[in-house]
Amino acid sequence: MRRLSHLTRRQMLAVGAAASTLPLAMRPRMAAAQTPVSLQLSWLHSVQFAGSYIAQDRGLWRDAGLDVSLLQGGPNAPVEPPVVAGTALVGISAADYTTAAVAEGAPFKIIGVAMQKNPFAIASLPANPVNAPADLAGKRIGMALANTPVLQALCSLNDVDIDAIKVIPTQYSAQPLVAGEVDCLLCWETDLPVAMTIQGVENQTMLMADHGYAVHSQTYIATEDSLANRRAELVALMAGEVAGWQAYRDDTDAAAELTMAMFPDAGLDLPTQKLQAERQVPLMFSDLTDANGFGWWTDETVAANIETLALLGREVTPDLWDRSILEEVHGA
Amino acid sequence: MTTAVGTIAQPLRSGLGSAFGVILILLAWDLAARATAGSFVLAAPAEVLNWLVANRGLMGRALAETLANAAAGFVIGNLAAILLAVVALAWPRAERAVMNLALLIFCLPLVATGPILRVLLGPGDGPQIWLAALAVYYTTLVPLMVGLRAAPASWLDLVRIYGRGRWTEIVRVRARAALPYLFAGLQIAAPAAFLGAMVGEFTGAERGMGVLTVRFIRAMDVPAIWALACVAALVSILVFAAIGWLARFVLDEKPPVIIAPAQAVGALGVTARMLRTLTLAVLALALWWAVIQIAQLNPFFAKGPDDVARALLSAPDAAETRARLGTALVETAVYVVPGWAAGLGLGAAIAIVLILFPPIAAVAMPVAVALRAIPIVTTAPLIVLVLGRGAVGTISLVAVMVFFPSLVACLHGLRQAPGQIMDVFDSYAAGPVSRLIHVRIPAMLPAFFASARMSVPAAILAVTVVEWLATGRGIGSLMALSASLSEYDMLWSAIMATAVLAVLFHAGVSALERVVLARTAPEQVG
Repeated sequence: MRRLSHLTRRQMLAVGAAASTLPLAMRPRMAAAQTPVSLQLSWLHSVQFAGSYIAQDRGLWRDAGLDVSLLQGGPNAPVEPPVVAGTALVGISAADYTTAAVAEGAPFKIIGVAMQKNPFAIASLPANPVNAPADLAGKRIGMALANTPVLQALCSLNDVDIDAIKVIPTQYSAQPLVAGEVDCLLCWETDLPVAMTIQGVENQTMLMADHGYAVHSQTYIATEDSLANRRAELVALMAGEVAGWQAYRDDTDAAAELTMAMFPDAGLDLPTQKLQAERQVPLMFSDLTDANGFGWWTDETVAANIETLALLGREVTPDLWDRSILEEVHGA
Repeated sequence: MTTAVGTIAQPLRSGLGSAFGVILILLAWDLAARATAGSFVLAAPAEVLNWLVANRGLMGRALAETLANAAAGFVIGNLAAILLAVVALAWPRAERAVMNLALLIFCLPLVATGPILRVLLGPGDGPQIWLAALAVYYTTLVPLMVGLRAAPASWLDLVRIYGRGRWTEIVRVRARAALPYLFAGLQIAAPAAFLGAMVGEFTGAERGMGVLTVRFIRAMDVPAIWALACVAALVSILVFAAIGWLARFVLDEKPPVIIAPAQAVGALGVTARMLRTLTLAVLALALWWAVIQIAQLNPFFAKGPDDVARALLSAPDAAETRARLGTALVETAVYVVPGWAAGLGLGAAIAIVLILFPPIAAVAMPVAVALRAIPIVTTAPLIVLVLGRGAVGTISLVAVMVFFPSLVACLHGLRQAPGQIMDVFDSYAAGPVSRLIHVRIPAMLPAFFASARMSVPAAILAVTVVEWLATGRGIGSLMALSASLSEYDMLWSAIMATAVLAVLFHAGVSALERVVLARTAPEQVG
């Protein structure tokens, strides 16, 4: 897939030269002025980004004159540098990471919000469940130490004494919970719990967003410079995302199958992708998006974000969010 | 000497030994998997095999990708090492600068260089190949430099008597003397290149075994994780064995007696040493600054020496930055130093045991290569489960990373015992222990110290990767966290501090080495 859409300049010239010898009518559509842009994803390819795959697969971007490369993320692939450097036109970040980058001088705006509800959750086993934040007291929680501010924010939002929780540093795996090394995990609703379910380990989650933790996630970020000078490309890119994610919602199973077909080397399996696709729907779609369209936000949701971000030690103003691109896409 | 019968029987015996070893490993593995069933840590051999058969296409494509990148990095890194060694030897004045800069670059942590390389090189295989090359060039350069010096003074005198220059000396005498050491370096490099390529894939590669490792760890797909580990280990063992076979094919001479005149140690005054250190520092800072300027890196994430100085000295939160950095460095040092020492000692001890009881080698060597080759990303959870998340677990992981280069280097050093001297011991019917003490261990010391030095960065690499992926403490975790929170001032400060500390640690080992080798191997002390 990518291989085709990611020709080098030399190959492009060769293709162009070959095409110019063809009669005008026979030239492929690709030779029409396609603007190459990149979208930097925040993690490895999976159904987490299936809306983008649908846009790619259905040629939504190609028809709008964009040749989009989807750049995969990874555990050691921060999103912000390629966006600042201009390697990627848009990056998938989250409000907390974007705020941190802005504090360090990155000229970012949030131009769309894919996950209305933050995906952070507390996963536990039914025999020793965490149903509400108060249940955390006296428990051993496995999490990346880097997420300590997240736990702190949850505790202050719900009057839980964080010192009553024992934090055990774990990374990237639900194994410590299954092995009984910890009582619960701070993880994403859509990753480790899905893995446990697929492995036959019964588990339950408490979504932090249901207990006051309001931080927009999987947000689209672009630089102020791009917003000023590359508006048409941003609008076309986001229009494809909006249409792609709408199609995703209509049939998550098909989205999972497309993901499997597009990335045969990614080591994905269909049941996991289907379950993950299903479980991220309530995070991405709400009454708000039903009324206004995918990616939308309001002054109220931004105000709630600013409050939670303050608990995370991040000072931020509402003008970090710029809705003008979405407004153009949705024709508002 | 060894009789003809011995020579013929040896491959057969070692083949049987290997088979026995493999069976032993499989049995122990199966037992361990049964003991830990239900904890999602270890898969039994049969499960792994089933998974491999069912997913052979996926694994084959991932292996081809990672192997190609690792091979490219292996070639580039080792060629660079050979080139640097020749430069250092042909222009002795440049040697110290070349070696120190090479060390400094090797000390840059992969956790931090990965994302920078990705931004520099864009999508594709660039970062994987570069990280593989960076992971190997220094571990080849160090033994190579030792080898290039391991020539008897009389041979060098001969070249000079014939009025030939330095070039002839390098090509005719030193290159020949260096070959055994080069092969040892290449053997150490093989698994390192593989690991480098895998870590490089964490920066956003499309496919490969590193990508699959991350995926399967998250999915708790234990048979898949161990299938990856087995394939990585198997490939490394095969490459290791192939280089060993090539070495035996090429090297048919007994090691010579190296008689070199003793040289005065510490002839350089304090001022001269200070001046040299200062020159290196200025050179390194200039290089750092120049790379950022030439590549036109964006100042948001590319911080120069001036930015780091500001962040650590004059910024309003400089004190806090220093305190965070200091705390993280102490947390890391507590694990690195004991892990390094334990790994080194273990490597040397096993090498000595293998020389005294050669049949054990057939069992022990594959285990040793496998331990080093299995990406620590997959072994970390197992070691943590057995030894806990505290000091013992982390120290053991560092020791695992360090002991292999130490073992290979020491084993090779023990075998460098001069043939003529061994013949003398033969004629006196001296036993293996007295040979060990009087001939082999002194012959081993240059290689031992070389591995002690080059293991300093390896230990730091290990601890930062473990901290980043498993324990979430120390400098490795701080670097990963800084990158995700866009705190690039902190990231570059951490890189600089890590590199400087590694160089200082290295200098300490070097000082000790000079004192010891001045007695046992004066040709090495220049």
